[in-house]
Amino acid sequence: MNASLVGKTYPEVPFLVDPDRLVAFSRVFGQLSGVPPTFVTVAEFLVFPQIMGDPDLHLDVRRVLHGSQEYVHHRSLIEGETLTVRSRLASIRTKGGNGFLTIETDLLGVGGDVACTARSTMIERGESA
Amino acid sequence: MSEVSVGDELPTRRRIVTREDVRDYAEAGGDQNPVHQDDDVARAAGFPGILAHGMFTMGHLADCLSTWAGDPGAVASLSASFRAPVFMGDEIVAGGRVVAIDQDSNVATLETWVTLEREGRTEWPIKRGEARVRLA
Repeated sequence: MNASLVGKTYPEVPFLVDPDRLVAFSRVFGQLSGVPPTFVTVAEFLVFPQIMGDPDLHLDVRRVLHGSQEYVHHRSLIEGETLTVRSRLASIRTKGGNGFLTIETDLLGVGGDVACTARSTMIERGESA
Repeated sequence: MSEVSVGDELPTRRRIVTREDVRDYAEAGGDQNPVHQDDDVARAAGFPGILAHGMFTMGHLADCLSTWAGDPGAVASLSASFRAPVFMGDEIVAGGRVVAIDQDSNVATLETWVTLEREGRTEWPIKRGEARVRLA
């Protein structure tokens, strides 16, 4: 991967906390009402194809696995609200023949408040792995 | 939630992972990586067949936490590394333990995990995950 891209930001996209999507997501895991803490990843994956497919990044998506995930929830997402998804390349590292790409994503409310910050680390497995 | 103490363990939450579950997660979560849907792609990557998304395993863990907290909105933070693959038919077991309570903010810090048994061994798809849960 091209480590010189660290710090690059990507065009913001809107994310609707869509009730139908929420039902579909919640059904996979349980019956609780409210927004599951990991639902934020639906917003991340709106932007990830654009980032991971960035021709300047030189990431081989066929070798990618999700390595780790973090969330800091400043407030709950509200069903029906539209947030702004803002992502940046936070780090690119190589370790043990594998590449590690960390993408940091903020979900912003209409007033600009950060509702949640998510950090996803993707592993680009080594050619021989 | 009342009377939470350091050392308390969450009720474990278990489920057997099926192809249908993983397909449903791919649809709902938006991660269409074929390694989670196509056995040939998974085998080419060195696995015996498709594996569950890390986020499937973490979503199950989050469900365990939310159930304990009584409200998914009580989960203030959550982190995990995906250390071992989860294959179809595996039974994953999510759990956690309260390791600290901040009395001022009334937030509990938990160590979390997801285990499975395979060929007589315990595997840890998630080990030493961390979560903070608002107790009030």
